[in-house]
Amino acid sequence: MKIDLTFIWTAFLQILPAIPTTLVITLVSVLAGFVIGLLAALARIYKVPVLGQAASAYVTFIRGTPMLTHLLLIYFGLPVLLDALSAQFGWGFKSASIPMIGFAFISFSITAGAYMSEVIRSGLLAVDRGQLEAAYSVGMTTPQALRRIIFPQALSVSIPNLSNSVIGMLHGSTLAFTVSVVDINAKAQIVASTNWKFFEAYIAAALIFWGLTLLIERLTAVIEKRMNLYNRGGIV
Amino acid sequence: MIKLKNIHKSFGRQQVLKGIDLTVQKGEVVVILGPSGSGKTTLLRCVNYLEKPGDGEILIGDYHLNCRHAGKKEIHALRQKSAMVFQQYNLFRHKTAVENVMEGLLVVKKLSKEEAYRRSAELLEKVGLGSRLDAYPSQLSGGQQQRVGIARALALEPEVILFDEPTSALDPELVGEVLEVIRRIAAEGITMIVVTHEIGFARDVANHIVFMDGGVIVEEGSPAEVLSRPKEERTRQFLKRITPEPNYSI
Ligand SMILES: Nc1ncnc2c1ncn2[C@@H]1O[C@H](COP(=O)(O)OP(=O)(O)O)[C@@H](O)[C@H]1O
Ligand SMILES: [Mg+2]
Repeated sequence: MKIDLTFIWTAFLQILPAIPTTLVITLVSVLAGFVIGLLAALARIYKVPVLGQAASAYVTFIRGTPMLTHLLLIYFGLPVLLDALSAQFGWGFKSASIPMIGFAFISFSITAGAYMSEVIRSGLLAVDRGQLEAAYSVGMTTPQALRRIIFPQALSVSIPNLSNSVIGMLHGSTLAFTVSVVDINAKAQIVASTNWKFFEAYIAAALIFWGLTLLIERLTAVIEKRMNLYNRGGIV
Repeated sequence: MIKLKNIHKSFGRQQVLKGIDLTVQKGEVVVILGPSGSGKTTLLRCVNYLEKPGDGEILIGDYHLNCRHAGKKEIHALRQKSAMVFQQYNLFRHKTAVENVMEGLLVVKKLSKEEAYRRSAELLEKVGLGSRLDAYPSQLSGGQQQRVGIARALALEPEVILFDEPTSALDPELVGEVLEVIRRIAAEGITMIVVTHEIGFARDVANHIVFMDGGVIVEEGSPAEVLSRPKEERTRQFLKRITPEPNYSI
Protein backbone atom coordinates (compact mmCIF):
# COMPACT_ATOMS: atom_id res chain seq x y z
CA MET A 1 0.00 0.00 0.00
CA LYS A 2 1.20 3.46 -0.88
CA ILE A 3 0.30 6.60 0.95
CA ASP A 4 0.13 9.78 -1.06
CA LEU A 5 1.66 12.22 1.40
CA THR A 6 1.21 15.24 -0.83
CA PHE A 7 -2.46 14.47 -1.16
CA ILE A 8 -2.79 14.54 2.63
CA TRP A 9 -1.53 18.10 2.46
CA THR A 10 -3.79 18.99 -0.46
CA ALA A 11 -6.79 17.51 1.32
CA PHE A 12 -5.80 19.31 4.51
CA LEU A 13 -5.89 22.65 2.72
CA GLN A 14 -9.20 21.85 1.03
CA ILE A 15 -10.82 20.76 4.28
CA LEU A 16 -9.79 23.90 6.20
CA PRO A 17 -12.77 25.98 4.94
CA ALA A 18 -15.13 23.45 6.58
CA ILE A 19 -13.73 24.15 10.03
CA PRO A 20 -16.09 27.08 10.75
CA THR A 21 -19.12 24.85 10.07
CA THR A 22 -17.89 22.29 12.58
CA LEU A 23 -17.05 24.98 15.12
CA VAL A 24 -20.40 26.74 14.73
CA ILE A 25 -22.31 23.47 15.25
CA THR A 26 -20.19 22.69 18.30
CA LEU A 27 -20.50 26.18 19.76
CA VAL A 28 -24.26 26.44 19.26
CA SER A 29 -24.92 23.01 20.71
CA VAL A 30 -22.62 23.59 23.69
CA LEU A 31 -24.04 27.02 24.54
CA ALA A 32 -27.67 26.01 24.12
CA GLY A 33 -26.87 22.72 25.88
CA PHE A 34 -25.40 24.63 28.81
CA VAL A 35 -28.57 26.68 29.26
CA ILE A 36 -30.80 23.60 28.90
CA GLY A 37 -28.52 21.64 31.21
CA LEU A 38 -28.51 24.36 33.88
CA LEU A 39 -32.31 24.60 33.87
CA ALA A 40 -32.68 20.81 33.96
CA ALA A 41 -30.14 20.53 36.79
CA LEU A 42 -31.87 23.20 38.88
CA ALA A 43 -35.29 21.66 38.25
CA ARG A 44 -33.97 18.33 39.53
CA ILE A 45 -32.00 19.66 42.50
CA TYR A 46 -34.89 21.83 43.69
CA LYS A 47 -37.36 19.01 42.90
CA VAL A 48 -39.63 21.45 41.06
CA PRO A 49 -43.00 19.71 40.64
CA VAL A 50 -43.55 18.34 37.10
CA LEU A 51 -40.45 20.11 35.70
CA GLY A 52 -38.14 18.06 37.93
CA GLN A 53 -39.63 14.76 36.73
CA ALA A 54 -39.69 15.99 33.15
CA ALA A 55 -36.00 16.91 33.40
CA SER A 56 -35.13 13.47 34.80
CA ALA A 57 -37.03 11.74 32.00
CA TYR A 58 -35.33 13.94 29.40
CA VAL A 59 -31.87 13.20 30.77
CA THR A 60 -32.34 9.43 31.03
CA PHE A 61 -33.94 9.18 27.58
CA ILE A 62 -31.28 11.23 25.81
CA ARG A 63 -28.38 9.56 27.58
CA GLY A 64 -29.94 6.19 26.88
CA THR A 65 -30.15 6.68 23.11
CA PRO A 66 -27.48 7.42 20.47
CA MET A 67 -26.81 10.95 19.30
CA LEU A 68 -27.40 9.86 15.71
CA THR A 69 -30.88 8.68 16.70
CA HIS A 70 -31.66 12.12 18.16
CA LEU A 71 -30.63 13.72 14.90
CA LEU A 72 -32.77 11.36 12.84
CA LEU A 73 -35.78 11.79 15.12
CA ILE A 74 -35.53 15.56 14.83
CA TYR A 75 -34.85 15.44 11.11
CA PHE A 76 -37.85 13.28 10.34
CA GLY A 77 -40.13 14.25 13.21
CA LEU A 78 -39.81 18.01 13.50
CA PRO A 79 -40.98 18.88 9.95
CA VAL A 80 -44.08 16.70 10.33
CA LEU A 81 -44.88 18.37 13.63
CA LEU A 82 -44.23 21.91 12.41
CA ASP A 83 -46.19 21.45 9.18
CA ALA A 84 -49.15 20.07 11.12
CA LEU A 85 -49.06 23.01 13.53
CA SER A 86 -48.58 25.45 10.68
CA ALA A 87 -51.63 24.07 8.85
CA GLN A 88 -53.68 24.09 12.04
CA PHE A 89 -52.94 27.72 12.91
CA GLY A 90 -52.37 29.10 9.41
CA TRP A 91 -48.80 30.27 10.00
CA GLY A 92 -47.96 29.91 6.31
CA PHE A 93 -44.71 28.23 7.33
CA LYS A 94 -43.16 25.34 5.41
CA SER A 95 -40.70 23.01 7.09
CA ALA A 96 -38.78 22.80 3.83
CA SER A 97 -37.52 26.31 4.56
CA ILE A 98 -35.52 25.07 7.58
CA PRO A 99 -31.84 24.94 6.61
CA MET A 100 -30.19 21.53 7.09
CA ILE A 101 -27.80 22.86 9.66
CA GLY A 102 -30.84 23.94 11.74
CA PHE A 103 -31.66 20.29 12.41
CA ALA A 104 -28.10 19.72 13.61
CA PHE A 105 -28.33 22.76 15.91
CA ILE A 106 -31.60 21.65 17.46
CA SER A 107 -30.83 17.98 17.86
CA PHE A 108 -27.26 18.42 19.12
CA SER A 109 -28.38 21.07 21.62
CA ILE A 110 -30.85 18.56 23.00
CA THR A 111 -28.10 15.93 23.21
CA ALA A 112 -25.61 18.31 24.83
CA GLY A 113 -28.24 19.58 27.30
CA ALA A 114 -28.75 16.11 28.77
CA TYR A 115 -25.05 15.39 29.21
CA MET A 116 -24.27 18.85 30.53
CA SER A 117 -27.15 18.71 32.97
CA GLU A 118 -25.40 15.81 34.69
CA VAL A 119 -22.11 17.71 34.75
CA ILE A 120 -23.71 20.87 36.14
CA ARG A 121 -25.75 18.93 38.67
CA SER A 122 -22.74 17.19 40.13
CA GLY A 123 -20.87 20.51 40.16
CA LEU A 124 -23.67 22.16 42.12
CA LEU A 125 -23.91 19.25 44.54
CA ALA A 126 -20.15 19.41 45.09
CA VAL A 127 -20.43 22.87 46.67
CA ASP A 128 -20.51 22.57 50.45
CA ARG A 129 -23.90 23.34 51.97
CA GLY A 130 -22.17 25.70 54.41
CA GLN A 131 -21.52 28.08 51.50
CA LEU A 132 -25.24 28.51 50.88
CA GLU A 133 -25.92 28.91 54.59
CA ALA A 134 -23.21 31.57 54.89
CA ALA A 135 -24.78 33.41 51.96
CA TYR A 136 -28.19 33.27 53.64
CA SER A 137 -26.72 34.40 56.94
CA VAL A 138 -25.30 37.56 55.39
CA GLY A 139 -28.82 38.26 54.12
CA MET A 140 -28.73 37.14 50.49
CA THR A 141 -31.78 35.83 48.68
CA THR A 142 -31.60 32.42 46.99
CA PRO A 143 -31.01 33.86 43.49
CA GLN A 144 -28.26 36.14 44.85
CA ALA A 145 -26.63 33.24 46.67
CA LEU A 146 -26.77 31.04 43.58
CA ARG A 147 -25.40 33.70 41.27
CA ARG A 148 -22.64 35.07 43.48
CA ILE A 149 -21.57 32.12 45.62
CA ILE A 150 -22.78 28.75 44.36
CA PHE A 151 -22.52 29.03 40.55
CA PRO A 152 -18.94 30.34 40.46
CA GLN A 153 -17.73 27.54 42.72
CA ALA A 154 -19.77 24.88 40.89
CA LEU A 155 -18.42 26.14 37.57
CA SER A 156 -14.85 25.94 38.67
CA VAL A 157 -15.15 22.32 39.85
CA SER A 158 -17.03 21.45 36.63
CA ILE A 159 -14.48 22.86 34.18
CA PRO A 160 -12.77 19.53 33.39
CA ASN A 161 -16.09 17.74 32.81
CA LEU A 162 -17.50 20.63 30.79
CA SER A 163 -14.39 20.55 28.65
CA ASN A 164 -15.00 16.85 28.02
CA SER A 165 -18.55 17.68 26.97
CA VAL A 166 -17.25 20.27 24.51
CA ILE A 167 -14.81 17.76 23.03
CA GLY A 168 -17.59 15.17 22.87
CA MET A 169 -19.80 17.58 20.96
CA LEU A 170 -16.94 18.56 18.64
CA HIS A 171 -16.43 14.93 17.67
CA GLY A 172 -20.16 14.21 17.66
CA SER A 173 -20.78 17.07 15.26
CA THR A 174 -19.45 14.84 12.46
CA LEU A 175 -22.86 13.16 12.48
CA ALA A 176 -24.23 16.30 10.84
CA PHE A 177 -23.11 14.86 7.50
CA THR A 178 -26.13 12.50 7.65
CA VAL A 179 -28.36 15.53 7.09
CA SER A 180 -26.11 16.84 4.29
CA VAL A 181 -24.20 19.43 6.31
CA VAL A 182 -20.65 19.79 5.03
CA ASP A 183 -18.50 19.68 8.15
CA ILE A 184 -14.83 18.64 8.36
CA ASN A 185 -15.60 14.97 7.94
CA ALA A 186 -18.04 15.42 5.08
CA LYS A 187 -15.60 17.70 3.35
CA ALA A 188 -12.91 15.02 3.57
CA GLN A 189 -15.22 12.60 1.84
CA ILE A 190 -16.00 15.10 -0.91
CA VAL A 191 -12.32 15.91 -1.42
CA ALA A 192 -11.47 12.23 -1.82
CA SER A 193 -14.37 11.33 -4.06
CA THR A 194 -12.53 12.55 -7.17
CA ASN A 195 -9.47 10.32 -6.74
CA TRP A 196 -10.64 7.74 -4.19
CA LYS A 197 -7.83 8.59 -1.78
CA PHE A 198 -10.16 8.38 1.19
CA PHE A 199 -7.48 7.23 3.59
CA GLU A 200 -5.35 10.31 2.99
CA ALA A 201 -8.34 12.62 3.22
CA TYR A 202 -9.45 11.13 6.51
CA ILE A 203 -5.93 11.38 7.88
CA ALA A 204 -6.09 15.09 7.11
CA ALA A 205 -9.49 15.33 8.82
CA ALA A 206 -8.18 13.43 11.84
CA LEU A 207 -5.22 15.80 12.16
CA ILE A 208 -7.57 18.78 12.11
CA PHE A 209 -9.83 17.28 14.79
CA TRP A 210 -6.82 16.41 16.88
CA GLY A 211 -5.51 19.96 16.60
CA LEU A 212 -8.89 21.42 17.60
CA THR A 213 -9.13 19.05 20.55
CA LEU A 214 -5.66 20.00 21.77
CA LEU A 215 -6.66 23.63 21.46
CA ILE A 216 -9.73 23.07 23.64
CA GLU A 217 -7.62 21.23 26.19
CA ARG A 218 -5.09 24.06 26.34
CA LEU A 219 -7.84 26.60 26.70
CA THR A 220 -9.36 24.53 29.50
CA ALA A 221 -6.07 24.42 31.34
CA VAL A 222 -5.76 28.21 31.18
CA ILE A 223 -9.34 28.77 32.36
CA GLU A 224 -8.96 26.19 35.11
CA LYS A 225 -5.83 27.84 36.38
CA ARG A 226 -7.48 31.25 36.52
CA MET A 227 -10.68 30.02 38.13
CA ASN A 228 -8.93 27.89 40.70
CA LEU A 229 -6.60 30.58 41.94
CA TYR A 230 -8.47 30.46 45.23
CA ASN A 231 -7.60 26.85 45.79
CA ARG A 232 -3.87 27.29 45.80
CA GLY A 233 -2.38 26.11 49.03
CA GLY A 234 -5.71 24.54 49.90
CA ILE A 235 -6.60 20.96 50.65
CA VAL A 236 -8.82 20.54 47.62
CA MET B 1 -33.61 43.31 72.25
CA ILE B 2 -34.14 39.73 71.16
CA LYS B 3 -37.02 37.66 72.37
CA LEU B 4 -37.61 34.02 71.54
CA LYS B 5 -40.97 32.64 72.54
CA ASN B 6 -41.87 28.99 72.74
CA ILE B 7 -39.54 27.87 69.92
CA HIS B 8 -40.21 24.31 68.83
CA LYS B 9 -38.29 22.28 66.29
CA SER B 10 -38.50 18.64 65.27
CA PHE B 11 -36.49 16.63 62.78
CA GLY B 12 -38.94 13.98 61.64
CA ARG B 13 -40.26 12.45 64.84
CA GLN B 14 -37.36 13.63 67.00
CA GLN B 15 -38.24 16.71 69.02
CA VAL B 16 -35.03 18.74 69.29
CA LEU B 17 -36.34 22.03 70.74
CA LYS B 18 -39.25 21.71 73.12
CA GLY B 19 -40.39 25.27 73.69
CA ILE B 20 -37.47 27.61 74.24
CA ASP B 21 -38.07 31.05 75.77
CA LEU B 22 -35.14 33.42 75.86
CA THR B 23 -34.68 37.16 76.20
CA VAL B 24 -31.45 38.96 75.35
CA GLN B 25 -31.14 42.64 76.20
CA LYS B 26 -29.38 45.05 73.87
CA GLY B 27 -25.62 44.93 74.41
CA GLU B 28 -25.83 41.72 76.39
CA VAL B 29 -23.65 38.65 75.88
CA VAL B 30 -25.53 35.41 76.44
CA VAL B 31 -23.56 32.18 76.58
CA ILE B 32 -25.37 28.92 75.94
CA LEU B 33 -23.88 25.82 77.53
CA GLY B 34 -25.05 22.26 77.22
CA PRO B 35 -24.03 18.75 76.30
CA SER B 36 -23.65 17.71 72.68
CA GLY B 37 -27.01 17.05 71.04
CA SER B 38 -28.95 19.27 73.42
CA GLY B 39 -30.14 21.53 70.58
CA LYS B 40 -27.82 24.55 70.94
CA THR B 41 -26.85 24.69 67.26
CA THR B 42 -30.44 24.13 66.21
CA LEU B 43 -31.59 27.03 68.39
CA LEU B 44 -29.06 29.45 66.85
CA ARG B 45 -29.95 28.24 63.38
CA CYS B 46 -33.62 28.88 64.10
CA VAL B 47 -32.85 32.49 65.07
CA ASN B 48 -31.07 32.95 61.71
CA TYR B 49 -33.80 30.88 60.03
CA LEU B 50 -31.36 28.37 58.61
CA GLU B 51 -33.79 25.93 60.23
CA LYS B 52 -37.49 26.59 60.14
CA PRO B 53 -38.98 26.33 63.63
CA GLY B 54 -42.15 24.30 63.78
CA ASP B 55 -43.73 26.80 66.12
CA GLY B 56 -42.89 29.90 68.12
CA GLU B 57 -42.16 33.58 67.75
CA ILE B 58 -38.94 35.45 67.10
CA LEU B 59 -38.58 39.12 67.92
CA ILE B 60 -35.37 40.92 66.96
CA GLY B 61 -35.18 44.68 67.40
CA ASP B 62 -38.38 46.01 65.89
CA TYR B 63 -38.99 42.96 63.77
CA HIS B 64 -41.46 40.37 64.89
CA LEU B 65 -42.06 37.03 63.20
CA ASN B 66 -44.53 34.32 63.96
CA CYS B 67 -42.95 31.12 62.68
CA ARG B 68 -46.30 29.71 61.59
CA HIS B 69 -46.88 32.48 59.07
CA ALA B 70 -43.38 33.10 57.74
CA GLY B 71 -43.15 33.63 54.01
CA LYS B 72 -40.04 34.17 51.90
CA LYS B 73 -40.15 37.93 52.44
CA GLU B 74 -40.47 37.71 56.21
CA ILE B 75 -37.64 35.18 56.44
CA HIS B 76 -35.40 37.35 54.29
CA ALA B 77 -36.13 40.38 56.48
CA LEU B 78 -35.49 38.42 59.69
CA ARG B 79 -32.15 37.09 58.42
CA GLN B 80 -30.89 40.61 57.90
CA LYS B 81 -31.33 41.28 61.63
CA SER B 82 -28.79 38.67 62.69
CA ALA B 83 -25.45 37.33 61.51
CA MET B 84 -23.89 33.96 62.14
CA VAL B 85 -20.34 32.91 62.92
CA PHE B 86 -20.06 29.23 62.03
CA GLN B 87 -18.16 26.44 63.71
CA GLN B 88 -16.57 25.56 60.35
CA TYR B 89 -16.08 29.26 59.42
CA ASN B 90 -17.90 28.82 56.07
CA LEU B 91 -15.99 31.62 54.40
CA PHE B 92 -16.78 32.05 50.71
CA ARG B 93 -14.01 29.91 49.30
CA HIS B 94 -13.66 31.72 45.98
CA LYS B 95 -13.32 35.14 47.58
CA THR B 96 -10.44 36.80 49.39
CA ALA B 97 -10.64 37.87 53.03
CA VAL B 98 -11.67 41.40 52.14
CA GLU B 99 -14.13 40.20 49.49
CA ASN B 100 -15.73 37.91 52.05
CA VAL B 101 -16.44 40.88 54.29
CA MET B 102 -17.50 43.11 51.37
CA GLU B 103 -19.96 40.60 49.92
CA GLY B 104 -22.88 41.37 52.23
CA LEU B 105 -22.21 45.11 52.05
CA LEU B 106 -22.31 45.06 48.25
CA VAL B 107 -25.15 42.64 47.64
CA VAL B 108 -27.40 43.17 50.62
CA LYS B 109 -26.59 46.66 51.91
CA LYS B 110 -25.94 47.98 48.39
CA LEU B 111 -22.92 50.05 49.33
CA SER B 112 -20.57 51.31 46.65
CA LYS B 113 -17.44 49.25 46.01
CA GLU B 114 -15.16 51.89 47.49
CA GLU B 115 -17.22 52.31 50.63
CA ALA B 116 -17.59 48.54 51.09
CA TYR B 117 -13.84 48.07 50.65
CA ARG B 118 -12.98 50.83 53.09
CA ARG B 119 -15.24 49.44 55.80
CA SER B 120 -14.17 45.85 55.23
CA ALA B 121 -10.48 46.71 55.38
CA GLU B 122 -11.11 48.64 58.59
CA LEU B 123 -12.87 45.68 60.19
CA LEU B 124 -10.16 43.23 59.15
CA GLU B 125 -7.64 45.62 60.64
CA LYS B 126 -9.64 45.49 63.83
CA VAL B 127 -9.55 41.68 64.04
CA GLY B 128 -5.81 41.75 63.39
CA LEU B 129 -5.82 40.80 59.71
CA GLY B 130 -4.95 44.13 58.15
CA SER B 131 -2.04 42.52 56.32
CA ARG B 132 -4.02 39.57 54.91
CA LEU B 133 -6.77 41.38 53.00
CA ASP B 134 -6.06 39.62 49.72
CA ALA B 135 -5.53 36.12 51.07
CA TYR B 136 -7.96 33.36 50.09
CA PRO B 137 -9.45 31.27 52.91
CA SER B 138 -7.31 28.30 51.85
CA GLN B 139 -4.23 30.40 52.60
CA LEU B 140 -5.32 31.31 56.13
CA SER B 141 -5.07 29.39 59.39
CA GLY B 142 -8.26 28.33 61.14
CA GLY B 143 -7.94 31.15 63.65
CA GLN B 144 -7.47 33.69 60.87
CA GLN B 145 -10.42 32.29 58.92
CA GLN B 146 -12.62 32.53 61.97
CA ARG B 147 -11.56 36.13 62.54
CA VAL B 148 -12.55 36.91 58.94
CA GLY B 149 -15.87 35.23 59.74
CA ILE B 150 -16.31 37.54 62.70
CA ALA B 151 -15.45 40.60 60.59
CA ARG B 152 -17.97 39.44 57.99
CA ALA B 153 -20.66 39.25 60.66
CA LEU B 154 -19.71 42.61 62.20
CA ALA B 155 -19.81 44.36 58.82
CA LEU B 156 -23.53 43.80 58.54
CA GLU B 157 -24.15 45.69 61.78
CA PRO B 158 -26.83 43.20 62.82
CA GLU B 159 -28.91 43.45 65.96
CA VAL B 160 -27.27 40.27 67.20
CA ILE B 161 -24.33 38.08 66.25
CA LEU B 162 -24.76 34.36 66.74
CA PHE B 163 -21.63 32.32 67.47
CA ASP B 164 -21.87 28.54 67.16
CA GLU B 165 -18.87 27.03 68.93
CA PRO B 166 -16.55 29.48 67.17
CA THR B 167 -13.38 27.89 68.53
CA SER B 168 -14.17 24.19 68.68
CA ALA B 169 -12.75 23.42 65.23
CA LEU B 170 -9.48 25.19 66.05
CA ASP B 171 -6.12 23.86 67.15
CA PRO B 172 -5.71 24.63 70.86
CA GLU B 173 -3.02 27.25 70.28
CA LEU B 174 -5.35 29.22 67.99
CA VAL B 175 -8.31 29.36 70.37
CA GLY B 176 -6.94 32.31 72.34
CA GLU B 177 -6.67 34.74 69.44
CA VAL B 178 -10.29 34.16 68.42
CA LEU B 179 -11.65 34.42 71.96
CA GLU B 180 -9.67 37.63 72.39
CA VAL B 181 -11.37 39.16 69.35
CA ILE B 182 -14.81 38.11 70.58
CA ARG B 183 -14.01 39.52 74.02
CA ARG B 184 -13.06 42.85 72.44
CA ILE B 185 -16.18 43.23 70.37
CA ALA B 186 -18.28 42.18 73.36
CA ALA B 187 -16.73 45.08 75.27
CA GLU B 188 -17.97 47.40 72.51
CA GLY B 189 -21.53 46.55 73.37
CA ILE B 190 -22.37 44.25 70.44
CA THR B 191 -25.26 41.98 71.35
CA MET B 192 -24.37 38.34 71.03
CA ILE B 193 -25.43 34.79 71.70
CA VAL B 194 -22.46 32.45 72.00
CA VAL B 195 -22.52 28.67 72.14
CA THR B 196 -19.22 27.50 73.61
CA HIS B 197 -17.56 25.00 75.88
CA GLU B 198 -14.97 27.56 77.04
CA ILE B 199 -16.07 28.01 80.64
CA GLY B 200 -13.38 30.55 81.45
CA PHE B 201 -14.52 32.72 78.57
CA ALA B 202 -18.13 32.36 79.68
CA ARG B 203 -17.30 33.40 83.21
CA ASP B 204 -15.41 36.51 82.05
CA VAL B 205 -17.53 37.74 79.19
CA ALA B 206 -21.11 36.56 79.65
CA ASN B 207 -23.78 38.71 81.28
CA HIS B 208 -26.13 35.80 81.26
CA ILE B 209 -25.64 32.05 81.05
CA VAL B 210 -28.16 29.53 79.76
CA PHE B 211 -27.79 25.82 80.34
CA MET B 212 -29.65 23.63 77.84
CA ASP B 213 -30.23 19.91 77.90
CA GLY B 214 -32.60 17.73 75.93
CA GLY B 215 -34.13 20.62 74.00
CA VAL B 216 -35.14 22.69 77.02
CA ILE B 217 -33.52 25.42 79.09
CA VAL B 218 -32.70 23.72 82.36
CA GLU B 219 -31.30 26.72 84.19
CA GLU B 220 -30.27 30.29 83.50
CA GLY B 221 -28.82 33.23 85.37
CA SER B 222 -25.68 35.24 85.94
CA PRO B 223 -22.31 33.48 85.50
CA ALA B 224 -21.87 33.42 89.26
CA GLU B 225 -25.26 31.79 89.77
CA VAL B 226 -25.05 29.17 87.06
CA LEU B 227 -21.33 28.37 87.13
CA SER B 228 -20.58 28.64 90.83
CA ARG B 229 -23.89 27.82 92.50
CA PRO B 230 -25.89 25.73 90.00
CA LYS B 231 -29.32 24.80 91.34
CA GLU B 232 -30.01 21.89 89.06
CA GLU B 233 -28.37 18.50 89.32
CA ARG B 234 -28.04 18.25 85.50
CA THR B 235 -26.11 21.53 85.41
CA ARG B 236 -23.80 20.35 88.19
CA GLN B 237 -23.13 17.06 86.36
CA PHE B 238 -22.36 18.87 83.14
CA LEU B 239 -20.02 21.41 84.75
CA LYS B 240 -18.20 18.64 86.57
CA ARG B 241 -17.65 16.83 83.29
CA ILE B 242 -16.22 19.76 81.36
CA THR B 243 -14.09 21.14 84.21
CA PRO B 244 -12.70 18.00 85.83
CA GLU B 245 -11.21 18.42 89.29
CA PRO B 246 -7.50 17.76 89.21
CA ASN B 247 -7.42 14.29 90.71
CA TYR B 248 -3.69 13.99 90.93
CA SER B 249 -1.19 15.49 93.32
CA ILE B 250 2.40 16.35 92.89
N1 LIG C 1 -30.54 18.47 59.99
C1 LIG C 1 -30.82 17.57 60.96
N2 LIG C 1 -31.54 16.47 60.67
C2 LIG C 1 -31.86 15.56 61.63
N3 LIG C 1 -31.48 15.68 62.91
C3 LIG C 1 -30.75 16.74 63.26
C4 LIG C 1 -30.38 17.75 62.31
N4 LIG C 1 -29.67 18.71 62.95
C5 LIG C 1 -29.59 18.31 64.24
N5 LIG C 1 -30.24 17.15 64.43
C6 LIG C 1 -30.40 16.45 65.71
O1 LIG C 1 -30.87 17.37 66.64
C7 LIG C 1 -30.27 17.18 67.90
C8 LIG C 1 -29.66 18.48 68.39
O2 LIG C 1 -28.58 18.82 67.56
P1 LIG C 1 -27.75 20.16 67.72
O3 LIG C 1 -28.68 21.31 67.72
O4 LIG C 1 -26.69 20.14 66.69
O5 LIG C 1 -27.14 19.97 69.17
P2 LIG C 1 -25.88 20.71 69.81
O6 LIG C 1 -25.49 21.84 68.96
O7 LIG C 1 -26.37 21.12 71.16
O8 LIG C 1 -24.82 19.67 69.92
C9 LIG C 1 -29.25 16.07 67.73
O9 LIG C 1 -29.83 14.88 68.22
C10 LIG C 1 -29.05 16.00 66.26
O10 LIG C 1 -28.76 14.69 65.86
MG1 LIG D 1 -23.63 22.21 68.00
